[in-house]
Amino acid sequence: MNCNEATSLMSAFTDGETDRARTHSIERHLRTCPQCAEAHRSLLALRTRLRAEVPYFPAPQALRTRIAERLEHQASSSPVDRAATSGRWRWLTAGALGGCAATVLAWMIGTSLLQWRANEDLALEAVQMHVRATLNHHLIDIASSDQHTVKPWLSARLDYSPPVQDFTADGFALVGGRLDYFDRQPVATLVYRYREHTIDVFVRPESARAPPSSLRTVRGFNVAHATGSGMDWLAVSDVNTEGLSAFVQKLAQRKLP
Amino acid sequence: MSNENRFRTLVLPHLDAAHNLARWLTRDADDAEDVVQDACVRALRYVETLRGGEAKSWFLTIVRRAFYDWYRSNRPQEIARDAGAAIDTAVDDAAIGPEQAALLHADSQALADAVAKLPLGYREVLVLREMEELSYKEIARIADIPIGTVMSRLARARALLQCSPLLRAIGEERSGARS
Repeated sequence: MNCNEATSLMSAFTDGETDRARTHSIERHLRTCPQCAEAHRSLLALRTRLRAEVPYFPAPQALRTRIAERLEHQASSSPVDRAATSGRWRWLTAGALGGCAATVLAWMIGTSLLQWRANEDLALEAVQMHVRATLNHHLIDIASSDQHTVKPWLSARLDYSPPVQDFTADGFALVGGRLDYFDRQPVATLVYRYREHTIDVFVRPESARAPPSSLRTVRGFNVAHATGSGMDWLAVSDVNTEGLSAFVQKLAQRKLP
Repeated sequence: MSNENRFRTLVLPHLDAAHNLARWLTRDADDAEDVVQDACVRALRYVETLRGGEAKSWFLTIVRRAFYDWYRSNRPQEIARDAGAAIDTAVDDAAIGPEQAALLHADSQALADAVAKLPLGYREVLVLREMEELSYKEIARIADIPIGTVMSRLARARALLQCSPLLRAIGEERSGARS
């Protein structure tokens, strides 16, 4: 065996992945060639360093807990469980990191996954509503790009007054609003257009304690959530996840005029 | 045995490996969790088809696919960079200047950074080999490439690490020997 052959096999040899005949000839070659022997030592040194210095990331406990809950839910998806969690918006954090950032920000705005158990239904419901509205061409009850037209129209039909803003300057143009029946209560839906995409934003009063925000994908649609200005904001669209969660956070963050 | 119990006994023991792989592929803690959760949903759906002995590579295959689906929808701009030519030429695309390298190579963060900067196709085989100690055959199955490609990518990944500007320390240890 010459140096070229030995070099091309050195990495596999170091992994013990060369066949017996080749292993034997490389070993013989290494005894006579100091350069290749050095290359071999250096690969072994690299391995030692990789194992000593490169961190291994075991699954965080929070992730394990969520998966365990998911399994339990799957095993016994009882109606009692659903009754207990519906009626409220229960968004939970996807990780401690989100929690930290949210605490620091106090706005409780960030992006993470929806808590599976209670919210898979909710995200699915939001997506279904969005799809239904799109298919029926019933996107808009009140068509207007004027926030001062849309807001009073919605307020007159709900027991709360959703903040309505136009973000045409940022590429998200308000095109109107409609009423939906979502999670067992009437809810204001703001409709925005971003390039060719329609975005539905469900707005309702913030529930109980301000939860961290969430993001998930249901059947190809992205669902993003944020809390702010006293409201829970849930956006559904085929806009990419970054764009959508940035937008929903902007909506939530904006102070009331 | 119910699917949930199969999942618990066969798949859950490999959750650390799944998370570690996802973490090195996404290079982000939150994204890694998203990918692992998605992989779990898929694994639970197909766990019936799983035979016991190959649970780890079966699950890691799913994690890798979940990652690529996530990657396509969330990082489309990076795909072009990782694909094709990039895989043969790219070293550190966030090319690290010599002074940064000097700063970094002093601490052991340097090697981790160099691994994180490997092109995706190299990073995945390296993590599977060096951290999970899987055989070439298993890696080939998970990454859906021939064994010969596993071999050449690993060799190349190691060569990239050895000549990374982040890692001159290794070169120096080799006392002048050139690869």
